[in-house]
Amino acid sequence: MTDTNSTAPAIAVEDLWQVFGENAAPALRDARGAGDDKAIAKELKDKTLIPAVRAANFEVKSGELFVIMGLSGSGKSTMIRCISRLIEPTAGSVRIDGEDILQASDKRLIDLRRHKLGMVFQHFGLFPHMTVADNVAFPLKMQGAGKAERRARALEVLQMVGLEGREDAYPRNLSGGQRQRVGIARSLAVNPDIWFLDEPFSALDPLIRRQLQDEFLNIQATLKKSIVFITHDIQEALKLADRIAIMRDGEIVQIGTPEEIVLHPVDDYVAEFSKDVPKGRHACVESILMDGIPDNMPDDPGIKIGMTLDTALTKCMELYEPVPVRDAEGKVIGAVHPHELANALQAEET
Amino acid sequence: MSAAEAVSVRAERKLTLTKGSQAALFVLAVVVTCRLLGAHFEWLVKWPAALTVPMADWMTWLVGGFLDIFKPIARAFTFLVSYPMEWVGWLLNAVPWPMIVAVVTAIGWMIGGIRLAALGFFGLMFVVFTGYWSQGMNTLALVAVSVPLALVMGAAIGILAFEYPRMKGAVNALLDVMQTVPTFAYLVPLLVLFGFGPVVGLIASAIYAAPPMARNVLLGLERVDTEIREAAVMSGGTRRQQLFLVELPAATQQIMIGVNQCLMAALSMVIIAAVIGGFDDIGWEVLQTMRKALFGPAFLAGSVIVVFAIIIDRMSAALAEPRQPQDRNVALGILAVGAAVTIWSLFAGWSPTGVAAMDGIAKRVDEGVGVFTATYGSTLDSVKNTSMFYGLLPLRIGLAEAVLPFTWGFAWTVKHTAMLYGAALLISLILIFKGRVTAAVMVLIIAYIAEIGVAHLAWPVVILGAGAIGWVSGGWKLARLAVILLSLILISGLWERALLSLYLAGAAVFACAVIGGLLGLWSAMSTTAWMVLRPICDFLQTIPLFVFLIPVLMFFQIGEFSAFIAICMYAVVPMIRYTRHGLVSTPDEIIEAATASGAGKWQTMFEVRAPFAAPTILLGLNQTILYAFAMLVIAALIGTTELGQSIFLALGQYDVGLGITAGAAMAILALVADRLVQGFAEERRQALGL
Ligand SMILES: Nc1ncnc2c1ncn2[C@@H]1O[C@H](COP(=O)(O)OP(=O)(O)OP(=O)(O)O)[C@@H](O)[C@H]1O
Ligand SMILES: [Mg+2]
Repeated sequence: MTDTNSTAPAIAVEDLWQVFGENAAPALRDARGAGDDKAIAKELKDKTLIPAVRAANFEVKSGELFVIMGLSGSGKSTMIRCISRLIEPTAGSVRIDGEDILQASDKRLIDLRRHKLGMVFQHFGLFPHMTVADNVAFPLKMQGAGKAERRARALEVLQMVGLEGREDAYPRNLSGGQRQRVGIARSLAVNPDIWFLDEPFSALDPLIRRQLQDEFLNIQATLKKSIVFITHDIQEALKLADRIAIMRDGEIVQIGTPEEIVLHPVDDYVAEFSKDVPKGRHACVESILMDGIPDNMPDDPGIKIGMTLDTALTKCMELYEPVPVRDAEGKVIGAVHPHELANALQAEET
Repeated sequence: MSAAEAVSVRAERKLTLTKGSQAALFVLAVVVTCRLLGAHFEWLVKWPAALTVPMADWMTWLVGGFLDIFKPIARAFTFLVSYPMEWVGWLLNAVPWPMIVAVVTAIGWMIGGIRLAALGFFGLMFVVFTGYWSQGMNTLALVAVSVPLALVMGAAIGILAFEYPRMKGAVNALLDVMQTVPTFAYLVPLLVLFGFGPVVGLIASAIYAAPPMARNVLLGLERVDTEIREAAVMSGGTRRQQLFLVELPAATQQIMIGVNQCLMAALSMVIIAAVIGGFDDIGWEVLQTMRKALFGPAFLAGSVIVVFAIIIDRMSAALAEPRQPQDRNVALGILAVGAAVTIWSLFAGWSPTGVAAMDGIAKRVDEGVGVFTATYGSTLDSVKNTSMFYGLLPLRIGLAEAVLPFTWGFAWTVKHTAMLYGAALLISLILIFKGRVTAAVMVLIIAYIAEIGVAHLAWPVVILGAGAIGWVSGGWKLARLAVILLSLILISGLWERALLSLYLAGAAVFACAVIGGLLGLWSAMSTTAWMVLRPICDFLQTIPLFVFLIPVLMFFQIGEFSAFIAICMYAVVPMIRYTRHGLVSTPDEIIEAATASGAGKWQTMFEVRAPFAAPTILLGLNQTILYAFAMLVIAALIGTTELGQSIFLALGQYDVGLGITAGAAMAILALVADRLVQGFAEERRQALGL
């Protein structure tokens, strides 16, 4: 395909602003003088503009699964619309594989969308006048693939999402969950490198959802796409994410690994998300390693790197002194204090 | 606080007038000035002829030159279009009638099952038996050529407006003009451009039918779900692919509604265009028989039009709905039967031309009408005369002139004038005492109108009055628009006729508002009433305008009253529909809240539903106004003396300037009335937070 900078992150977002309303760009430029981002946002709001995304900065590494979480209306969908340039950001820059996408020509954009980007929409965005198979094959049609090839590939991805046999139905005849799977299948049809998913599993019942999440992790393990995934569901985020970004009122308040989000929330808003999460099952011992290794540790219950807090705690229930943490080869690379372990787990109850 | 202060505060409070009462007071001041000084300064009442501009002549010159330039192109177009038209006409006439009946029935079956198949079959068989088959086919040929033209034109305009949002305002204005300029008005320049003949009717109907298509295409495209649009973008489609492969197909339902409206408009216009004559179609037939007062045949021919309209309407409306696939074999079977009947009719030598199976009916209708008018003639006359002498006439020329000894039993004198104003003053004082300043002032203004009549209103009263209403309903911008547009009519020399149009349309709208409002209220209160009224409304909205004239003529002969009735029949429908719709669509929780507060059925109706329905009802009124103006021109065919008649005159005399000026004047009246009412509807909607 096109030459891309392999060392660059898959997606790099810098100081991205999306302001809705009339004359947003000049208003934002004027407001810049107001000071920090909060002051700018306030000034914009006073002018009845909506700063839906504010000064967003983050990178998604190649092959990384990046989850965006936040309350309804916090700007998640707007964020991926900006990145995929479905809407024109008011200010800032977005690079995809090092290429400044905001400068890309119309032709280049079409090319990128045909071959590189895929998107699953929050409300599915299925074409009402096409059958399921035609919906799924539509991106292939845009690529100029032949009819037989399109049909074959459509059936293949439909099978992947468990919709075999429904290929000639129309979207209006499907259930919400089935429609969502058609949306997923459509975005998979051209095998994109970068995949945007806007609450792709929200309309599914828990059983199918878990099944699809597992399927999704499988796909990801083999295909190693770079993914931006939006969800409301903290469990889902923790299960899938390499890193999580939490948004509030258009602002990214924290970016971190699942453990960081669960164990070290920067504020109450973030903490609220993981309130009901049994932390021991998600965080690993690394997240609470002590600074330095004490010289003398009497006990060695066999704590290993990558062990969850729950498992670690059961091993050192009766212990009060720091214990060593070893890597796979058995070398001591750090230590944890059992007291800290218990504290970390208790944080959630308060 | 001292007593003096208290008094001044009270005085201040009394002096803060609402916007409405300020405007009313202003108009009253104008009225008083004109009434008192009008006798001394004639120019205050009547615009001096010296100051009128020969707008019609200018138009003739301006447009004439313009038309001359385009004439060759237009004539070439005429030449080109006449081929497909003749061809389709030939085809429809050459194909044996059983085949056409079979094809329509089969189409009906495919899109709507047994119901539409039956409609198609019985409808067309009726046409066969009336003996108007070939005229009917000629009309259909015109429709068949003009509709594709209108569809393409409309779709192109709609897509253009969607793709270039900056053009949307201009396009909408253009569509407004295309729909409010009376249909006859653009027949004149078209006649000059395209030459005499059926092609003019075809073009006129394409122009008239394109706007609904354009509007629906635009609306449909705008309503396509954002995510569907975005999914097409993310699939990497080019703009053209997005539009033609995703957005337009996704908007199909709305577009099909446009197709339906387009078909109906084209049919209606093709029939209207028959006044040009020269083409043996069904509209011409109606016109001819009507002119000769042959009511039976006129009734039959009119029924053929109605049958066409109903078939076209129901079938194309069914296209917009999602439907189950039908058994193809049944359709093939129908066609086979059609073929068999064709062969039989060839051998038997039976053709529908000259069939007079229905002439008995026609005769019976004729006789029936004859007997009816003979028996009830005096009743009909007294209905007509009562409404004329005590309603329409005083409204037109004022009590001062309309009250005559031989109708009212006494002559109007200064004494009566004094009594009228005295009574008005008394009522208005009572109203002021109750704190209702606007109403009080309105009573005085109405007394003035009652005294001298709409046709004699002083021009400052009309223009500044419209401006004042505009100011209340939509602010300065609307006020300016109303004043400027109406002033154009004033200086064009068509003012008197415009006032007559205003009077006739106003009277009809008023009658429709009262009757339609009551019927709407009744259908909102009772489902049975709506079950009866609904098919009637559907029917009245389906039949082409022209047809309304037939029954009216039968019973009331030519004249203003017949025109008035025809306008009312057509224009009352939206009032009924919107009133009912507004009243029944009040949100349930509001009704429940009212019921919980112990409100009775009628209390709920007037205290809760009515205010909530006000914006919808106002929109209905708005539609009624537009309908009334549309019908006004058609009604001019049966004897009115207003602008509509000028337009006819122009048509007869080939007078481009007069046709366009009178048409524009009519359009201005409709447009100003439309904007004023819309302003109020908008204001109400915002007040309710809708
Ligand atoms: N086209 C638009 N015009 C104006 N405002 C918009 C537009 N799109 C989104 N917004 C506003 O931007 C804010 C963020 O919307 P967004 O759809 O990104 O939220 P979200 O985080 O995806 O919420 P949800 O979880 O409900 O999908 C909201 O306040 C919304 O009203
Ligand atoms: Mg969203």
